[in-house]
Amino acid sequence: MSVLRLRARQPEPPHVDDRAGSLLLRAGRGDQTAFADLYDELAPMVNGVVRKVVRDPAISDEVTQEVFVELWRLAARFDGTKGSARSWAATLAHRRAIDRVRSEQASRDRQDRDASLAAPSHDSVATEVEATMDRARVRRALSQLSELQREAVELAYFGGHTYREVAVMLGVAEGTVKSRIRDGLIRLRDELGGEA
Amino acid sequence: MNDIDVHHLAAAYALDALDQREREAFEAHYEKCDVCHTDVIAFRETMAHVADSLALPPSPSLKDRVLADISVTRQLSPLVAPPVPLTSRRIRTSWPALAAAAVLVVVLVVGVITFTRGADDESFNDQLALVLEQPDARMIDLEVQGEHPGTFKVAWSQSMGAAALMGENLPVAPDGKAYELWLVTPDETMAMYVLDPAADGSVHRTFDAPAEPAAWAITMEPEAGVAVATGDIMYLAEV
Repeated sequence: MSVLRLRARQPEPPHVDDRAGSLLLRAGRGDQTAFADLYDELAPMVNGVVRKVVRDPAISDEVTQEVFVELWRLAARFDGTKGSARSWAATLAHRRAIDRVRSEQASRDRQDRDASLAAPSHDSVATEVEATMDRARVRRALSQLSELQREAVELAYFGGHTYREVAVMLGVAEGTVKSRIRDGLIRLRDELGGEA
Repeated sequence: MNDIDVHHLAAAYALDALDQREREAFEAHYEKCDVCHTDVIAFRETMAHVADSLALPPSPSLKDRVLADISVTRQLSPLVAPPVPLTSRRIRTSWPALAAAAVLVVVLVVGVITFTRGADDESFNDQLALVLEQPDARMIDLEVQGEHPGTFKVAWSQSMGAAALMGENLPVAPDGKAYELWLVTPDETMAMYVLDPAADGSVHRTFDAPAEPAAWAITMEPEAGVAVATGDIMYLAEV
C-alpha cells in the first residue's frame, strides 16, 4: 500500500446538503436528538428493505433495530463524499438483512411468509403518498428492463440470493446472470439516477 | 480471478449478491479501483431509490427501543488521517534479522476472551464484536520476540478500517518507557498508539487501522511515543 493511497483516503470536508446527511453528521457528534430525527427520516426505508428481504415481521423489527444502532455507532465515520446518507443506510440495512437471511438459511429452511402484510395504520399520509410515487417510479424503471435482467436483479436484491444461486434458479449460466445484473443496474441507474 | 472479472462484480456487489469469497476479493480490489468505486457508489444510490419505494413504517414501539439502545452505546471514533508515515529504515532493515533470531514463545489464547473489568470492557467487547462481525475480519496472535512474558492478539477488519488489541500479562515498562504498537505494511511502518496497560498488565483497546497490515509489532519506546520506531521488536505477528 502506498503512501499516496493513504493520503487519498484522508477525509475531505463533507459536502452534505440533504437532511438525512446533516442529521447523520450531527448524530456523529453524539447528538441523540438529531439521531431521533434521523430515525424518523430513514426508518420507513430501512424497515422496508429489511422486511422485503427478511419477511418475518418480528425478525424484521430486530434487524431494523440493529441497523439503527449500527448507524449510531458508525455515524462519525459517515463520509458524504462516498455517497449519500440514505444510500449508506440502505446499504447497511440490506447487508444486515441479507446476513440474517443467509445465517438462518444455513441452519434451517427459510420460512417464506407472505410479505404483503398491510402497512401499519400509523403511516402518515405524506409518507404513504411519497412511497406510492416512489413505488410507481421504481415499477416503471423495473419494467424497462428485459425479463431476465429484472428477474436477476429482483431475486438478488429482494430475494437475498447470490448471483450464483440466481443462475441456478433461472437455469442460466452464472456469467449470464452476472452480466444481466450489471446491464439491469446500469439501466436502472439511467432511469432512477445514481446521484445522491 | 482476473481484473476484468473483478470489475464486472461491482453491480452484483452493490446488490450483496456475491458469496463471501468473492465479496472479499472484490472489496480488496475496489478500494484501489476508481472505476469500480464510482460504479459501486452510483449503483448504491440507484438501489437507495428502490429502497425508498419499499418504505414501510416499523412498529411504533421500535423508535423507543432504538433510542434506549443508542443512549447506552458508545460511538466509534471517526477515521482520521493516518499517523505520519515512518521512513525509518531501522525497523525495516532490522526485521528479518530480528525475526530470524526470535525465540518464539507462543502462548495461544484461543477461544473466548474473558474480561473482568467494568463498563469500559463492555464497550470494548461491543466494538470487538463489531470488528469480528465484518466478513473480512481476521485475528492473529503476536509472538514474543525474546524471553519475556505477555501475550497479544490483534483482530482487525480492513473494510471497516478498525482493529482491536488484546494483551495480557504485559511486564511493567521501565520508568520513562512505554510499549508502542505499529502497523507494518510493505511500504511503511505506521505508529498506531502507545499502550496504556491496566494494573494487572492487560490491554484492551480498539483503534483505527488505516492500512492493510503485513505485520503487527510492539516495541519499547520513550514514554511519550515516537513517530519512528527506535526500540527492538518485543512482540510480532506477520500476517
